[in-house]
Amino acid sequence: MNASAPLRADEPGPAAQDASATAPAGTCTVQTISTEEEFSQHTSNLPPSCLTVIYFHAPWAEPCKQMNTILSTLASTYASTTPPKIGFYSIDAEELSDISERYDVTQVPFVALQKDGKVLETITGTDASKVRNAVEKHAGRPSAGDPGKLGLPPAQKVTKAAPSQPLNDPSSKPETNGSSNLSKYAPEAGDPATAPQYSSGEVNPATKDELNTRLSELVKAAPVMLFMKGTPSAPQCGFSRQTVSLLRDKGVRYGFFNILADDEVRQGLKEYSDWPTFPQVYVSGELVGGLDIVSGSSSLWPMLVRCTDWFSAVEGGVR
Amino acid sequence: MSSQTPMEDAMRRKITETLTPTSLEIYNDSHMHAHHKAMEGSTSRETHFRFYITSDAFKSKMQPARHRLVYQLLKDEMAAQGGIHALQLRTRTVEEEARARTKPETP
Repeated sequence: MNASAPLRADEPGPAAQDASATAPAGTCTVQTISTEEEFSQHTSNLPPSCLTVIYFHAPWAEPCKQMNTILSTLASTYASTTPPKIGFYSIDAEELSDISERYDVTQVPFVALQKDGKVLETITGTDASKVRNAVEKHAGRPSAGDPGKLGLPPAQKVTKAAPSQPLNDPSSKPETNGSSNLSKYAPEAGDPATAPQYSSGEVNPATKDELNTRLSELVKAAPVMLFMKGTPSAPQCGFSRQTVSLLRDKGVRYGFFNILADDEVRQGLKEYSDWPTFPQVYVSGELVGGLDIVSGSSSLWPMLVRCTDWFSAVEGGVR
Repeated sequence: MSSQTPMEDAMRRKITETLTPTSLEIYNDSHMHAHHKAMEGSTSRETHFRFYITSDAFKSKMQPARHRLVYQLLKDEMAAQGGIHALQLRTRTVEEEARARTKPETP
């Protein structure tokens, strides 16, 4: 059996990287590409004006987990249209090495933005705002429909931010025996689905610098970010619940992070922003305040809404 | 005989001394949250507070800066084991307070 046989058509791509699990209906999701044929099929069917966001990842590369979340969140803010205006595709860089070579992928995570067969821009690393800015530059601002109907953005299971890793890092390469063997980077034993990758008491706590980098990326993960106790569909605190309600009433689209699921972020953010309580609302990476400030300030809403470009979308109800 | 509300006393004193407010209202909402899961195991009756502070120490400061000022003052009470769990703040300058009183009810 040839150790480096190309993926057969019936073999699914690595399931661990499925980033499209919880996107609201009617919005874009990140589609996993498992074969060369699938890739050509998808890209040749897209109109020349459609922006294709191609994301190269490797299951063994830790930073890719963060990029998965960033991309699926970003994808869910774009309405799925016919004909499509934007498409998000995820490719295992090592399994589909011919495609990687074509795009000159030497590091992962790697995102290539393409229109009409031409690569417009590429981004390496896990800088969420860089990716978002690039996508918005070429595809315009997101315009997914009424937040009340679609519900809230998917949960952001964000892990430690890190620079991208070289593709052929020998120390991290899983053994290839013809099938997708991901045993080298299986999730830690007993790691529940919603548990953070890192929490206080972990064997390898992030250094202060790493934590700050991670936090500064997190607060920019969406134009409006809410750090709350629980999730919008299940808030674990009255103040967090009220904040969610307020944001929904005002039609503000936002990303959220459940600080109860990650003690490192919970404590780290208090110090990072010099703010001892939650919920915390950030706009463009800056702390605006908690429930009191957000509910008491009438000038805040136009700014928040403008940030997420809601006026026209709510009027028209783009689907 | 020591006070039943040591936390509140300390906070009132600190705010009064540092911010010289023209108005300071302190509401203890702890009883409303005593049954919440987060409060399991807590015996303190001084966990949730609402402060309405009017002071010109807030002049020319944006809301986040005002709140940070108050948080800084009360950081010992907030950091203490079994200390303050939640704090709601309304921070107004004298002028803002006067304006608010002439308007119909605002949140």
